[in-house]
Amino acid sequence: MTTLAAFEKLPTLNSATILLVGTNSVFQQQLAEAILKEKQDLKINIHLTTFLPLPTERDHIRPRIDLIVFIIDIQSKYSFKEIEASLLHVDANFFLGKVCFLTTGVGRMDQMSVDMNAVLKLADRYCSPVLFCELECEKIRIATAQRLIRMLQICSGHLPGVSALSFSTLMKNLNNDSSFMA
Amino acid sequence: MSPTITSPLTSSDDAKEQLIEECEEMWRVIEECQNKLALQETETLPDSDPKLPLLMKRLKTQTAEFNQWQKKEPGVITTNPEVLVTLGRDQLQKLDQELEMVLSSVQARNKNLKQNLLREQQWLEEHQRLIDDLNQIEEELSNEIVNLSEKRVFQELETKTLTVTACKDKMLTALGEFLEEHFPIPEKCETTRKKRRSEPEVQLTTLHEILENLIEKHVIAPHDPYITINASFWPPYVELLLRYGTALRHPEDPDRIRLENFDN
Repeated sequence: MTTLAAFEKLPTLNSATILLVGTNSVFQQQLAEAILKEKQDLKINIHLTTFLPLPTERDHIRPRIDLIVFIIDIQSKYSFKEIEASLLHVDANFFLGKVCFLTTGVGRMDQMSVDMNAVLKLADRYCSPVLFCELECEKIRIATAQRLIRMLQICSGHLPGVSALSFSTLMKNLNNDSSFMA
Repeated sequence: MSPTITSPLTSSDDAKEQLIEECEEMWRVIEECQNKLALQETETLPDSDPKLPLLMKRLKTQTAEFNQWQKKEPGVITTNPEVLVTLGRDQLQKLDQELEMVLSSVQARNKNLKQNLLREQQWLEEHQRLIDDLNQIEEELSNEIVNLSEKRVFQELETKTLTVTACKDKMLTALGEFLEEHFPIPEKCETTRKKRRSEPEVQLTTLHEILENLIEKHVIAPHDPYITINASFWPPYVELLLRYGTALRHPEDPDRIRLENFDN
């Protein structure tokens, strides 16, 4: 079983890499486009995949990954299962702030097929923050892209004084305020 | 002036070289760190409950980070004054640009606010004028209402008087007609007899006229309402008035009669 390692490669100059994991490739594509549209000093590499582990044959040309975003479609049980399975292939060092869960489709509660508590519990188990969004809506997609870029800047160490771990600790505290753990 | 900046070209070249050297030194440190990190084996989390080991790991890392921050001393990126001056100028220029942007945006907002203020003031003025106008109209209307009510009362009274007068006239004519019809002057029926006996030198008064005289006297001189019976009064009519209780004879003078007192 191959694992995606956090520190096996040197960082590249003035660039950051984000990995989007999710089963809905349309959403991934749209989100990636939205991220690239944002004006940045940083060169952003976006890698898309439907599951982990990543194929080994092209590992040598892949840059170091700074942030893994797991996209959970709340309307599809399959996406949730895939992500649960993919999580097993992630190096523990990533969970020090370089992982986040993006839950989409929260706008239509009536069509939910994944329990919201299950998502929150999963995120809690892996000590990672959850973002809620609706990727079908363009405005929310842009806002989400901006949030992800901000997180990516922190995770790739481009913001002096803030580390991924301290940032994720802040985010986690926010999530813990919700009452689901009671 | 520091002695290093004698010739700008050489000094800037020197500065560049120095910077590159420093950068490479840093990169060497990073590579060293990376090598140490690469030795570390990738660590997979247990499938069942990753939370506890993960939390322990986070605690360790965070403690290490904390210690690092405690030990770390703020350092200057480079000691080369040329580089520092350029960097400082760059940052100042950037700041200047940003401040100019802020200024222009604030000015734009100010302008916008001024326009809004003007518009609001115009609205206010218009509303004030509207209120004034409305107040004036209200005042006029209330005055008119007073006038109207007085006028109306007058009109009503007038119409009432008119109807009453009309009614009275109608009644009078009706009474007059009745009297004329049922109590005519007894000339025609008696012409033959009267012509023979005695020529009536006086024109006889109608019952209507007698009654009118009686009423007039009664109204004009209530202290002495009697009228004297003269030759123009046809005796049967006088008798009729007395018999039916319309007129009364004077208790002492049989030639004078008055209207019965209908007041009670």
